[in-house]
Amino acid sequence: MTTFEPGDRVRVRPSDKTGHVRTPDYLKGKTGWIESVRGEFRNPEDLAYGLSGRPERPLYKVGFRQADLWGDYEGPADDYLYADVYAHWLERYEGETV
Amino acid sequence: MTGVHDLGGSPGGPIDMSQHEVEDWERLADAVNAALGGKGLQTTDELRRAIESLENYKELGYYERWTAATELLLIEKGILTREEIDERSADLRRRWGVA
Repeated sequence: MTTFEPGDRVRVRPSDKTGHVRTPDYLKGKTGWIESVRGEFRNPEDLAYGLSGRPERPLYKVGFRQADLWGDYEGPADDYLYADVYAHWLERYEGETV
Repeated sequence: MTGVHDLGGSPGGPIDMSQHEVEDWERLADAVNAALGGKGLQTTDELRRAIESLENYKELGYYERWTAATELLLIEKGILTREEIDERSADLRRRWGVA
């Protein structure tokens, strides 16, 4: 599992995993950046089914430009959205930065 | 969308922001959940998963969801049976004279 540093460009995996998933649908496939590291926590996707949730996984505060999330966004270009996303939902994004 | 709860960004219409007094049964629902958590019988993640699985999610209020989900989890874990819960509910309804 890849780990990240603040400032890294990341993309939220466009996974269609079902069950108890904490990553909201509207972020899947979207690109942003690591704002900070929240710490390491047990995986809620497993805890939700009575499993141990171990090993603990890094959780990141990830920043997104609102304009990158909503096709019809009309607010200021520097409106951001921050969401907590686990490492296993993220991949390094090497594409063109916006 | 992974479930009925995952609706961020979808057209939602107006939000009902009105408040209501917390009712006794709601305090009790909260207390039962705290006790189950404290005894290691239920985790927040399990409760969330059970809430998301409720077929009548949209018709239920906040603590109604908690209560219905807790019932599912207690049955799933073999702590209570549906029959025991139904019997007890019927007993309380009779005692309190509620339909």
